[in-house]
Amino acid sequence: MTQGWKIVLVVGLLGLLALFYQGLWGNPRLIPTVLIGTAAPNFTSPQVGSSEPLSLDQFRGKVVLLNFWASWCLECRLEHSNLLALNERFSQDQNFVMVGINYQDKEEDAQQYLRTYGSTFPHVRDVKGAVSFDYGVYGVPETFVIDQQGIIRCKTIGPIIGEVYANYTQKILPALLAGSGDAVRC
Amino acid sequence: MIIELGHFAVVTALVLSLLGIAAPILGLWTKNADWIRVGRQSVTLIFVLLGLGIAALEYSYLTRDFSVAYVASTSNSRLPLFYTIAALWGGHEGSLLLWVFILSAFSTVAVWLHWRTQPAIMPYLIAVESSVMFGFLMLIVFLSSPFERIFPAPIEGKDLNPLLQDPAMTMHPPMLYMGYVGFSIPFAFAMAALFSGRLGEEWIKVTQRWTIFAWLCLTIGIMMGGYWAYYELGWGGYWGWDPVENASFMPWLVGTAFLHSVMVQEKRKMFKVWNLFLIIVTFSLSLIGTFLVRSGVLTSVHTFATDPERGLYILIFLAVVMGTAFGTLIARAQKLKSQIELDSIVSRESVFMFNNLFFLVAAATVFLGTLYPLMIETWKGSKVTVGPPYYNAVFMPIALGLLFMMGVGPYIAWRKASLDNIKKNFLLPLLVAFGVTALAFALGFRSPFTIAGAFVVGFVSTTIATDIGKVSAFFARRDRVNYLRGFLTAFAANQRRYAGIVTHIGVLILVIGIIASTVYQTEKVVSLRTGDEFTMGPYRLTLAEIHDVQGPNWTAKEGRFELYRGDRLLTEMRPQKRIYDASQTPTTESALYAINMGHVFLTMPEVSPDGTVTARGVINPLILWVWGGGGIMGLGVLLNMFRPRKRDE
Amino acid sequence: MLTRLLVALAVLGALSSPAVATTVDETDIDIKTREVAKTLRCTVCQTETVWESGSPFARQVRENIRERVEQGQSAEEIRAYFLSRYGDYILMQPPARGVNWLVWIGPFAVLIVGGFLLYRTLTRWVTSTPAAPQTVEPLDEASRRRIERELLS
Repeated sequence: MTQGWKIVLVVGLLGLLALFYQGLWGNPRLIPTVLIGTAAPNFTSPQVGSSEPLSLDQFRGKVVLLNFWASWCLECRLEHSNLLALNERFSQDQNFVMVGINYQDKEEDAQQYLRTYGSTFPHVRDVKGAVSFDYGVYGVPETFVIDQQGIIRCKTIGPIIGEVYANYTQKILPALLAGSGDAVRC
Repeated sequence: MIIELGHFAVVTALVLSLLGIAAPILGLWTKNADWIRVGRQSVTLIFVLLGLGIAALEYSYLTRDFSVAYVASTSNSRLPLFYTIAALWGGHEGSLLLWVFILSAFSTVAVWLHWRTQPAIMPYLIAVESSVMFGFLMLIVFLSSPFERIFPAPIEGKDLNPLLQDPAMTMHPPMLYMGYVGFSIPFAFAMAALFSGRLGEEWIKVTQRWTIFAWLCLTIGIMMGGYWAYYELGWGGYWGWDPVENASFMPWLVGTAFLHSVMVQEKRKMFKVWNLFLIIVTFSLSLIGTFLVRSGVLTSVHTFATDPERGLYILIFLAVVMGTAFGTLIARAQKLKSQIELDSIVSRESVFMFNNLFFLVAAATVFLGTLYPLMIETWKGSKVTVGPPYYNAVFMPIALGLLFMMGVGPYIAWRKASLDNIKKNFLLPLLVAFGVTALAFALGFRSPFTIAGAFVVGFVSTTIATDIGKVSAFFARRDRVNYLRGFLTAFAANQRRYAGIVTHIGVLILVIGIIASTVYQTEKVVSLRTGDEFTMGPYRLTLAEIHDVQGPNWTAKEGRFELYRGDRLLTEMRPQKRIYDASQTPTTESALYAINMGHVFLTMPEVSPDGTVTARGVINPLILWVWGGGGIMGLGVLLNMFRPRKRDE
Repeated sequence: MLTRLLVALAVLGALSSPAVATTVDETDIDIKTREVAKTLRCTVCQTETVWESGSPFARQVRENIRERVEQGQSAEEIRAYFLSRYGDYILMQPPARGVNWLVWIGPFAVLIVGGFLLYRTLTRWVTSTPAAPQTVEPLDEASRRRIERELLS
C-alpha cells in the first residue's frame, strides 16, 4: 500500500466517524423550513365553534403568532398553558394577535379540547389541509411568527416550552413588536 | 428470579470475554499453549452462558412474565406461541443479545473446528472474537439490557409490532445476523494474519468456507426481508432503498467482491493485502449497519428507538474496531505483500479486478446515497431525500456492468487470453446480445433498463449456455452418453466451478425478474361496492362479499374477490384489513395469485362502514423469477459447500 | 284494469331486483393523481411516496393533488407548489443542481477514475512481469489429468 492510499484511507475513516458523530445530535425527522423571509400566505377559514370565517389579511400590520395544533396531539397539550400565558402577556399590545389553526381534526374534538383546556384567542379549522400545505406543515405542534410586513420570520417545530418559550417571550416577540426585529434569531 | 439468573449469566459472559482477550495474549507472550486453551474454554463458556441468558428470556416470554420490561413491550398474552418465541428479537435489546449469541456460537464452532488444523491462528481468533463480544456485551449489560424489571408489572403486554407477526419477518433477523457474524470469522483470520505477520495457504481454504456460508446467510436474510416487504407492506414492491435495507446490502456487495477476489489469491497467490482490506471493509460495514439501525442517525422503517447515548457508545466501539483493523493493515501491509505476476491485461485476473472495482463503486454508491442526506444536513442545514429514482438511475447501470462481467470472467483464460480464446468464447455471445437488443427494440420495448438489460442478459446467457453445451458435449462424446449425462459428469468433475455457475444463473434470473417486475408493473386503484368489478390488463376482479374474520389476536374485514380471465374463474382472492387487538394497529394483508410466473397482487387499503372498499390491484410480471433466482443462487452455494472433496483439496 | 295492475306489478318487480354489477375503472384524474403522488415524498414516513403511504398526511396530500388535477393544474405546477412549501426534501431524489451533482455524478466519476487507475496499475504489473519460459517438457499422466481439469475451468 503506497503512502498516498494510506492517507486516503485514514482521512476517509476519520471523516466518516466525524459525520456519524455529527449525526447523533441531529433529528432526522426535523425538516428545516424554506419559508423564512417569504410572505405569509393568506387564508380564509371557518372558526372553531362558529360559522364566521377568519382571514389572515384582517391582521395586516400586526405581529401574528400562528400555532398549528390538534386535539390528538400530546405535545400540543404540553405547550397549551404557555400559549395562553403568552397571549395574556402580549395581547395588551394592539399590534399583537395570536391565531390557532386546528389541523387534521374533528370539529367536536377541537371544541371539546378548547373547552377543557381553555381558549383566549381565535382558532380556525384547516379544512382539507390547504392552510397547512401553504405553510409547509407536516405535523403538530408547529408555530409561525409573522411580522408587521406580513413576512414569516420564525418557525418552531415542537412545543413552545422551556428555552423556546423564553426565547419567544424575551427576544423574538418584544423585538418584533418594538419594530427592531431585523436581528431576530429564532 | 429466572430473569435475574439470565442477567447474571450475561454479566459473567462479559467478564469472561475479558479473559478471552487476555488469555491468548498471555499465551503468545509466554509461549504457553495452556493459556490458549483457557481462551478456548472462555469462548465456549460464553456461548453456554449466553444460551442461558436467551433461555431465561424465552422462559419469561413463555410464562408471560410482564414484570420484565422488554417482555412487556414486545409481547402480549394473546400472542401466538411462534411469535412469542420470536418476539425475543423483536426489539433493540433482545436483538442485540441474539446478535452476540450467534457470534458466540460461531466463535465456538470456529475455535473447536480449526483447533488442530490452524493452531497458529487460534490465539488471534479467540482474542478478536472475544473483543467483539466484549464490545457488544458492554452495550447490552450497561445500556441496553433486556433483563430490566418494571414495577408495577403491567397486567398485559403491549404486543409485538403487528408488522413483525409474520413467518418471513421472524426468520429475517436471525438469518441476517448469521451473515454479519459469519463474516467476523474471516475477519478474525485476517487480523490473525496481520498481527502474526504470516499468511499461509491454508488460510485461504478456511476463509473461503466461512465466507461463502456467511454470504449464503446474508443473501437469504436480505431476500426474506424483501419478500416480507412485498406481501406485508402491500405496495407491490420489495426493495425501497431504505437506509437499513442499504445497511445490509453494502456488506453483501463488498462480501461478494471479497468472495471473488479471494479466488485469485487461491489460484495465483496474489492480492493478499487487497483481500485483507476487503474483508476488513466487509466486517466494518456489518458493524456500521448495526450503528445506523440503532443510533437514530437516520430515519428508517426499521430503526429501533433512538438514543444518542447508545449511539455514541456504538460509535466509539466502531471507531476502536475499525481503527485497530485498518491501522494494523496500514502498519503490516508491507510484510504480507505478494509478488504480482500478471501476463496480460486480457486475463481472468484482470476481469476479477474490474469486478472488484465495480462492486466497490456499487457499495460506495449505496453508501453515498444513504449518507448524503446526513452530509447535506451537517454541511448546509437543509434536507434532501435520496430515494428509489436516484438508485435506479445511478446504481442500475453499475449493476448491469457487473452482470456483463459475470459473463466474461468465468470464460476468459487465466494469465493471458489469446485472441482465439476471445473469439471462441465471446463472439457468438456478442452477436446474440446485439440480436436480442434489436429484437427487444423491435417489439416496442423502450425503457433503457430493458434495452440495456436485454443486451447484457443476451450476452451472459449465451456465454453460460455455450460453455455448458461444450463441456456436456465433450463428456458425452468421451463417455458415449447423452448430453444430460455428459453435463452431470462435467458437473461432478468440477463441482466447485459449476456450483458457482449455478449461482450466476440464479443472479441472471433474479435480474430479469427485477427488470420485468419493476419496469412493467401495472397498478389500478378503484372504489368498489359488493357486486362491482374492475379490469386489470387481461384480468377481471369482482367483489363478491365483505365479511368479518377473527384471528388469534386480531379481527379483520376481509373482501372476497373473484379473479377472472375472460369468462374463466381463476381463483378467489381474500385481502384483509386487520386490526390487532392489543395495539389497535391496522395492517393490510395482501392476496397473491401466481400466474405466468408473475403475480396478481391485491390489497384492500380502505374499508368504509357504508360498504365501499378501496381495492388496489397490481400485476407484477415475472416476480417469481426474483424469488426463484434468489433460491437458485442459494442452491449454487449449497452445491459448492457440500461438494465431495477432491484429493488435492 | 287488469293491464294496469300487471304493468304496476312489472314495474315493482323491476325496481326491486338487485342492481346490475357495475364495472368501475380509474378515471384520468385518478391516473394523473397517482402519477404526481408517486413523485412526492411522504414527509412523516420513511422513504415512502405520498402514493404508497397510508398516513393521514399522505392522504390529505393525495386529496390536495386530486383537487389541483381537477382544477387543471399540470404535474409540474403541482410539484412546484409542494416544492415551494416544503423544500427539496419533498422530492424523491436530490434535485440535480449545485452541490447535489456530487451525488449524481460522483459514482460515475469514481468508476471512471478508478477504472483508469486500475488500468494503469495492471499495465505496470504486466510490464514488470518476466516472460514465461520457452522449454517444453514431455507430459506425464498426472499433468495430463490436471490439464484436462483446468480446461474445464
